[in-house]
Amino acid sequence: MEQFIPLIPLMPLIGFAVLGLAGNNISKLMAAIIGCTAIAVSFVFSLLVFNAQLGTEESVTVTMFNWFEAGSFKVELAFLVDHLTSIFLLIVTGVGLLIHIYSSGYMHDDIAHNRFFTYLNLFIFFMLLLVMGNNYLVMFIGWEGVGLCSYLLIGFWHKVDAYNKAANKAFIMNRIGDLGLLLGIFLLYTKFGTLNFIDIKSHLAEIQVGDPTIVVATLLLFIGAMGKSAQIPLHTWLPDAMAGPTPVSALIHAATMVTAGIYMVVRSNFIYSLAPFTLEFIAIIGLITAFVAATIALFQNDIKKVLAYSTLSQLGYMFLALGVGAYSSGVFHVMTHAFFKALLFLGAGSVIHAMSGEQDLLKMGGLRKKIPLTFITFLIGVLAISGFPFTSGFVSKDEILMSVFYHNKLYFYIAAAVAVITAFYMMRLLMLAFFGTFRGTHEQEHHLHESPASMTMPLVVLAILSMLGGLVQLPHIYGGKPIFEEFLNSIAPTLKHEDASLAMKEWLMLGVTCLGLVVVYFLTKKFYADDKFEGVYTGFKKTLANNYYFDEIYNTLFTKPLNFISQYYNAFDRLVIDGGVDGIGKLVNWGGDKLRYLQTGYTGFYLFAMVLSIAAFLIISLFNLL
Amino acid sequence: MNEIIIVASLGILTLLAEIFNFKKLILPLVVAGLAANIVVGIMEFDLASYYNDADTLRMIESDLYAKCFMMLLSIIALVWVLVNYNFFSDETNQTDHLALILFAIVGGFCMVAYTNFVMLFLGIEILSIPMYVLAGSNKRSLRSNEATLKYFLMGSFATGILLFGITLIYGSIGSFYVYDVRMKTASVDFTITPMFTIGVVMLIAAMAFKVSSAPFHFWAPDVYSGSPTSVTSFMATFVKTAAIAAFMRLFITAFPTAIESYKNVFFILIIASLFIGNIIAVFQTNAKRLLAYSSISHVGFMLLALLCLSEATSLKSLFFYTTAYSFTTLAAFLVLKIVSENASGDDDISVFNGLAQRNPLLAGTMTIALLSMAGIPPLSGFFAKYNMLFMALNHGYLWLVIIAILASLVGVYYYFKIIIAMFTRNSTDSTAIPLSLLQKSLLVLLMLIIITIGWNGWVFNLI
Repeated sequence: MEQFIPLIPLMPLIGFAVLGLAGNNISKLMAAIIGCTAIAVSFVFSLLVFNAQLGTEESVTVTMFNWFEAGSFKVELAFLVDHLTSIFLLIVTGVGLLIHIYSSGYMHDDIAHNRFFTYLNLFIFFMLLLVMGNNYLVMFIGWEGVGLCSYLLIGFWHKVDAYNKAANKAFIMNRIGDLGLLLGIFLLYTKFGTLNFIDIKSHLAEIQVGDPTIVVATLLLFIGAMGKSAQIPLHTWLPDAMAGPTPVSALIHAATMVTAGIYMVVRSNFIYSLAPFTLEFIAIIGLITAFVAATIALFQNDIKKVLAYSTLSQLGYMFLALGVGAYSSGVFHVMTHAFFKALLFLGAGSVIHAMSGEQDLLKMGGLRKKIPLTFITFLIGVLAISGFPFTSGFVSKDEILMSVFYHNKLYFYIAAAVAVITAFYMMRLLMLAFFGTFRGTHEQEHHLHESPASMTMPLVVLAILSMLGGLVQLPHIYGGKPIFEEFLNSIAPTLKHEDASLAMKEWLMLGVTCLGLVVVYFLTKKFYADDKFEGVYTGFKKTLANNYYFDEIYNTLFTKPLNFISQYYNAFDRLVIDGGVDGIGKLVNWGGDKLRYLQTGYTGFYLFAMVLSIAAFLIISLFNLL
Repeated sequence: MNEIIIVASLGILTLLAEIFNFKKLILPLVVAGLAANIVVGIMEFDLASYYNDADTLRMIESDLYAKCFMMLLSIIALVWVLVNYNFFSDETNQTDHLALILFAIVGGFCMVAYTNFVMLFLGIEILSIPMYVLAGSNKRSLRSNEATLKYFLMGSFATGILLFGITLIYGSIGSFYVYDVRMKTASVDFTITPMFTIGVVMLIAAMAFKVSSAPFHFWAPDVYSGSPTSVTSFMATFVKTAAIAAFMRLFITAFPTAIESYKNVFFILIIASLFIGNIIAVFQTNAKRLLAYSSISHVGFMLLALLCLSEATSLKSLFFYTTAYSFTTLAAFLVLKIVSENASGDDDISVFNGLAQRNPLLAGTMTIALLSMAGIPPLSGFFAKYNMLFMALNHGYLWLVIIAILASLVGVYYYFKIIIAMFTRNSTDSTAIPLSLLQKSLLVLLMLIIITIGWNGWVFNLI
C-alpha cells in the first residue's frame, strides 16, 4: 500500500506537466482524457489506501526526500496517511474526478479548454499535497498552491476585467489569512522545535491547558483557516469568486479548497484541545458566519451567489462543530457538503448551460419540464442541504446540532434558525428556477436543452451520494451505527453525550424538521412560484441583498485610507529610496570618472605615487598608526 | 625539482631548434614536454618523497604547497600555450618567444618553492625579465613599446625595493634562509627593530607591486593594455598566480607570526585594491584595461588569505581562488583574443556587440567567465569568493567582508556591460566568427572547468 501513496499526488502533477507542455497542440478530447485519467488513477490509489487504512489504526509516513536542513531545523517532504487523510483523499479525488468529467462537457466550447484542465490537475495536486503533508510546511505549500490555482481559475476568463478583480480579491484576502497561518507556524516552531504533526503531538504532554503560546498559535492558525474557508470577516472573496467557471465553483469553492481550514483545524486538533478559548472563538465565528451568510442568501437573485452564500453558511456550520469539540461531525459535514454542494453547483452549471450563460434567477422559471434530469438531481441536492430526513445533510446537521445543544443552548437556537433559513432560501431558489413559467428571452427558450451525458452522469452519481451518504453515520435511534465517527476516533475523539432524553430529542428534531420543511415548501411556493416576484428590495432587505455592505465598509475603512497613504509612500519611494539607490550608482560612476585621471600615463608620477605609498606604509608600521 | 629541470631543458631545446633548424617541430615538442611535466607531477603528487631543501643547498623545497602551485602553474602554462598557439606563428621570433615563456615558467616554479630569499629574488627576476621583453614583442606597435618600457622601468624600481627589503632583513636576522628567519622571529627574546620593520614593509611593497595590488598597481592597466593580448593573458594568469603564491609563501615560511603586526598595511592594500580596481573599471571602454582593473580587484580578495593566515582554510582558499581566477581569466582572454583578432586588433568593448548572434559558443563562454568573475553561483568564482569571505568572517573581520561584498557588487555592473553588449546590442559586422577545432574544444573545456571545479571541493581540499 505504501508504494501507492506517492503516486496519488504524482498522477495529477504528471497530468499538469503533460497538459501544460502540450497546450493547444493536442485536441480537446485528448486533453480531457489525460486530465480525467490522471485523477481517475489517483482515485483508484486513494481507494486502495483507504481500504488498507480501514483495517488499522496505524498511520503511515512515506518520506520522499530531505527538503532542507539548517542547523537543528529539518524539514522533509513526507506524506502522512491516516484515517483523516484517507477520507480527504477520497473526497478530493472522488469529487474531483466527477467534476473533471463534468468539465469535459461544460467547457467543451471554450477556447481555453486545455488550459482549464491544466489548472484543474494542478489544483488537485496541490490539494493532495495539502492533505497529505506530514508537517505544517508541506501543508503550507499545498495551502498556497491551491490559493494560486483558485486565483488562476477565478480569473480564468481573464478578458473580463471584473473577473480579474475578483481573482485579485480572492488572492489578497487569502494573503491576509495566510500571514496568520505563517505566524502560527513560526510560533509552533519556536515552541516545539519541529513542524512535524506527530512530533508535535508527542511534545504535548508537557503543555498545560490554556498555555498562552498555544492559545496565540492556535488563534493565528485559525486566522489562516478564516481566510481559506471564508469566515467572517475574511469572507468577502468567496461570493466574488463565482466569477470562475461553474465546475471551479463546485470543486474549489464548495467541495475541497474552502474546507482546507477545517482539515487544518482537525489535523491540529490535539493542539486546539489545549486552547479552550480558541475553540470558543471558532464556534462563535462559525455561528456568526452561518447566520449572516444565510440571511444574505435569502435575497440573492444570482443562482451562483445563492449557492456561494450557502457555502459560507455551511462552512460556518462546520467551524461551529469544530468549536464545540465535535471534530468528526465537522469532517462528516465536510464530506456530505462536498456531495450535495458539488451537486448543487454542477446542477446550477447545467441550468446555466441550458440557459446559454444566464445566471439571473428572475429570467428563469418553469425549467423542470425542459431539463427534467437536472431538475430531479437538483431537487435531491436541495432536499439534502435542507435536511430532509435521512438524506446526508440531515444526518450531518442533526449531529452538529446535537453537539451544539449540549455545549450551549443559545448557539443551538441560532444554529437551528440557520437550518430553517437554509431550507427557505434553497426552496426559494428551486421555485424561482424550476417552477412557474419561463421568463427569459425567446431566443433562450429556443435553445433550452438537457445537458450531455458527461454532465448529467456526475449529477446522478452525486445525487445518489447526497441521498445515501448519511447512512454511514446514522444515529442509533434510527437503527444506524456511527461508522464514520468510529473511523475518525483515532484522530479526534468525539465527546460522548449520554442523556436519558436523547432519543426523545432526536425524534422531536425529526418531527420539527419535517413540519418546518412542509411550511417552507408552501411559503416559498406562494411567494416565488407565481412569476410575480420582482427581485427589488428596499430597506433592511436591501442591506442583506448587498452583503450587509461589507465590501463598501472595507472600501472606506481600509482601501481608501491605504490608497491615500500610498500616494505619500509612493513619493517617498521614488525620491528617497530610488533616489538613494540611483545616487549610489551615480556616486560610483562619478568616482570611476574622476579616479581614472590618476592613471596619467607618466611613469614619473607612478613612481612618485609608489614612493609616497611606501613612505606611508613605513610611517604606519613604525609608529603603529591606524 | 623535476618540473624545473624538465621545463628548463625544454627552454634550452627550443634555443637549439633555432641553431639545428627543427623549428617546425618545436611547438609540438614543447606542448608534449609540458604535458609530460604535468603527468610526472600527478604521478609523483602523492609520493611522500618531497625534495628536502637540504638537497638543494637550502634553496628550494618541494613541499605540498609548492607541489600544488607548481601543478597549477604547469596546467595554466599548458593551456596558455594551446590557447595562444598562433602567437608563435611568426617565423622570425618563434623560438625567442617560446624560450622566453619557458624560462618565465621556470621562474614561476622557483617563486612558489623557494626557501631562501636569494631564490625568491632569482625566481622573480627569471620570471620578470622575459615578461619585460614579451610585453614589447609587438615591435611595430607604439603602445607595445610603451608598455615594455614602463614595465621595465617600474619593475626594476620594485626589484630595487625588494632587494632593499631582503638586505635589511638579513641585517637584522643574519640569514637569507626563511626557516632561520622564522626561528629567530618566533623566539621569545626577539624584539621587532625598526630595521626589521622597514625590511618587511619593503618586501610587502615589492610583492604588492608584483601582484599589482593598489596602490602599487599603476603599471598594470598601461602594461596590460599595451602588450599583445596573449602576453597580457599570461601576465594576468600565470604571473599573477606565481606572484601571489610567492607572497603567501613569504609569510607562511618566514614570518608567520609577523602578519598581525603589519595588518594595517594589508587593510590598506586590500581596501584600495577592491575599490580602485572596481570603481575605475566602471568607466573603462577598453576590454583589456577593464580586465586589468578587474584583476586588481581580484588581488584584493586574494590578499584576504594573507591577512587571515592563522585560519586553517587560508591556504585552501587562496589556492582555490587562484585556480578559479586563472581559468576564468584564461577563458575571458581567449574570447577577447579571438574577437579582437577578428576585428583587426581592436579591443574596445564595442567589438563584443552582437557576439551572441555571430558566435554563440564565444558569447556563452564569455558570459560564463564574466559571471564567474562577478561571483554568481554556482560558478567557481562564487565558491572562490565565498571561501575567502567565510574565512575572513571566521577571523572576525566582519567589516572587511561587508566592504568586499559592496566592492564586488560594483563589479557585477561592469561585467554585465560586456554581457549586455554581447546579447542586446547589434553589431556592425554580422558575419559569423569561424573557430578552429582546437579553439572550440578549449572553449568548451574552460567552460566546463569554470562551471564544475567549485562543486565538490576537491580542488579546495587538494592543498
